[in-house]
Amino acid sequence: MFDYDAERVRAVLLEITRANISPDAGDWFEANLKAKALPAINSTFSVMPRKTGKGVITVQEPDFGTISQIKPGLSLQGWSADRLARVCFLIHLDPSDKDTYLKTIESLFMAAEMSELTALYSSLPLLAYPEDWKMRCAEGIRSNIADVLEAVMYHNPYPAKYLDDKAWNQLVMKAVFTDKDINQIYGIDERANAELALILSDYAHERWAAGRSVNPLLWRPTSKFIDARILNDLRKVLSEGAMEEKVAAALAIYNSDSDEARALLSDYKQLVSMIENRDLAWDRLYGVRETGYEMRDTRSEIRDTRSEI
Amino acid sequence: MCCTHSFEDRRPIDAVSEKLDLENIKGMKFFDPHVHMTSRTTDDYQAMADAGIVALIEPAFWLGQPRTGIDSFRDYYSSLIGWERFRSSQFGIRHYCTIGLNSREANNEKLAEEVMDMLPLFIYKEGVVGIGEIGFDDQTAAEEKYYRAQLELAKESGLPVQVHTPHRDKKRGTLRSMDIALEHGLEPGKVIIDHNNEETVKDVLDRGFWAAFTIYPFTKMGNERMVEVAKQYGPEHIMINSAADWGISDPLAVPKTAALMKIKGISDEAIKLITYSNAIAAFAQSGQIDEKDFNVAVSVDQSQKFEGNTILRGGQQPRTDKSSIIIS
Repeated sequence: MFDYDAERVRAVLLEITRANISPDAGDWFEANLKAKALPAINSTFSVMPRKTGKGVITVQEPDFGTISQIKPGLSLQGWSADRLARVCFLIHLDPSDKDTYLKTIESLFMAAEMSELTALYSSLPLLAYPEDWKMRCAEGIRSNIADVLEAVMYHNPYPAKYLDDKAWNQLVMKAVFTDKDINQIYGIDERANAELALILSDYAHERWAAGRSVNPLLWRPTSKFIDARILNDLRKVLSEGAMEEKVAAALAIYNSDSDEARALLSDYKQLVSMIENRDLAWDRLYGVRETGYEMRDTRSEIRDTRSEI
Repeated sequence: MCCTHSFEDRRPIDAVSEKLDLENIKGMKFFDPHVHMTSRTTDDYQAMADAGIVALIEPAFWLGQPRTGIDSFRDYYSSLIGWERFRSSQFGIRHYCTIGLNSREANNEKLAEEVMDMLPLFIYKEGVVGIGEIGFDDQTAAEEKYYRAQLELAKESGLPVQVHTPHRDKKRGTLRSMDIALEHGLEPGKVIIDHNNEETVKDVLDRGFWAAFTIYPFTKMGNERMVEVAKQYGPEHIMINSAADWGISDPLAVPKTAALMKIKGISDEAIKLITYSNAIAAFAQSGQIDEKDFNVAVSVDQSQKFEGNTILRGGQQPRTDKSSIIIS
C-alpha cells in the first residue's frame, strides 16, 4: 500500500506539525485528522491556512534525519505551516478502500487553489498506491504555475522513483525551460539518460541559434552520455562560454567516464584542481568571477582566485 | 458580470481630450475590487502594476460564451483560485476572487442546481473574499431563487456579498436586491452593491450598504461623473472599480479616476478611501485579506535568487520594451 514506513512518518509529521502551529490549531488539527466524509475532508483541507497560519516551519535535527532516512530525497525545508499540515492530513487519510482513497485525493486536485496544489504535489512521494499517481505527477509537470512545478521538481523523490524515462525527461526539460534550479531535482544524476542528453544538446543548439544564453546547469545530466556531438558542444562551451558555463562544462567532463572527454581538461588544470578541492561544484558554479582569472594561465596562483570565491 | 453594450452607445470623444498623465498619483497604491482578469492580457497586468494597483478582486461572472456543463464551472472556479492568481502574482499584484453563480446562468435551472451543490467546495478556499457577483440581470423568478440561495450561503459562511445590479430597470432592481438581502438577515455592512450611478447611490448609502461604482466607458459611470458623486457624497462607504472584462473597458480605470480626482481637488485621504481602503475594509470581513501580503509577492518574486544566480523565483515576468520595433 505504502512504499515506506507510513506509521513512522505519520507520527513524525504530526509531531513537526504540532510544533509549528498554535496549541489550539494543533487540537483542531488532530480532531479533524479522523475526517471520513468527503465534505469534511474537503473543508478541513481548504481551511488549513486559516487555522495553521502560513509561517515557514522549522524542523529539528532528529526529525530532519528521520525523514530523509525513511524517504531519501524528501526535504521539508522552506515549507509553510499550511503545506506541512495539508501533507500530514493527506497521509492520515484512510487508504483501506483503494477506489475511495484515489477518488478522494483526485477530487482535491480537481478543485485546488495554488497553495493546495503545492501541498498535493508535495505529498506524492508519501501517498498510498504510489503506482497510481504517475499520471497525476505528469500532469503536475504540465503546470505553468511556478510553485506547483517546484513542488513536483524540488526535493520530491516521487518522479525519480516512478516516472518512466519519457516523463522524466519532460520534467528535466520543463525545469530547464522555466529556469528552475536543476540542482534541487532529486535523482538528476541517477536518472540521466542518453535520450535526455541528446534533447538537452538540441536545446542548447536552439538557444545558440537564437543568440540566447544557455542555462549552464543544462550540462549536468549529459555527463555520462558524452558522445561526439556533446563533446563538441562542451569543447565550444569551454572555449567560448561565460565563466559559469566553462565551470559547468568542466564539471560535466570531470564526472564523465569518457577518456576522450577528460583529455579536454588538460588545458584547464586550475578548474580541475578547484573541482578536486570542492571549491567548484554544481551548486557552486558561480565561485569564480570572470575578471582576473585567466583560464589557460597555469602560472597564476590558485590562491588569488580563491580569494574571490 | 459586466457591460454588454452596442456600438451605437458610443458618444463621440470630446474634441479636447485630457491627456493621460498619472504622474500626480505616483506612489499611491490602488485596489481594484472588481476586474475580470481572465479576459485580459499580460500587458494589462503590467500596466496595472505600473500604475500602482497592488491587489484586485476577480468576481466569478459570465465568461462571454455559453457554459453547458458543470465541469466548465468547476474549471472556471479552479482557474480563478489557481492559474489566474499565479498569472497576477507574476506582476506583483495580489489576486483575490469572489465565487458565485451569476444571474444570467441562473436561468438554466438544471445546471444552476448542480453549480449550487458545488459552490461550498470553492467558497472556503484561501483568497476567496466573498460570494459574487450575484444578483439580478433580467429579474426573472429563477434569478431571484438563486440570488436568495446564495445569500443564505453567504450568511452561513460569514462571507461578504458582491451584488451585481441590472442594466435594465436599474433603480428598482437595486432596491429590490437590497430588500431581499435584508429579508435574509444579512448585515448591510457586509454587502457591496455594485455598478451604482447617480440615481441609486443615495438609497444604497442611506441603508448602510457599501456603494461600488464601475468606471466603464459608454455604459456605466464615466470618471468625471464619479468625481462629482465623490464631491457630493464624500468618501465614506464608496469605492470604485473597473469591471474590465471582454468588452471595451479599461483596467486602469481606478488609477485614472484617482488622477482625475486629484486634479479636481479631492483630498489624498478621500482618494485613498475610495480607491483603496474602503474596498479592503469591506472585503477583509472575509478574513482573507491582509494588507501585509500585498507587497510580499513583489519582493519574493523579484529579489530572491537561487545560489547567487539570476534565476527569478515565482516566475516573475521579464519586461519587454514596448517602444522598440525589435522583439528579441
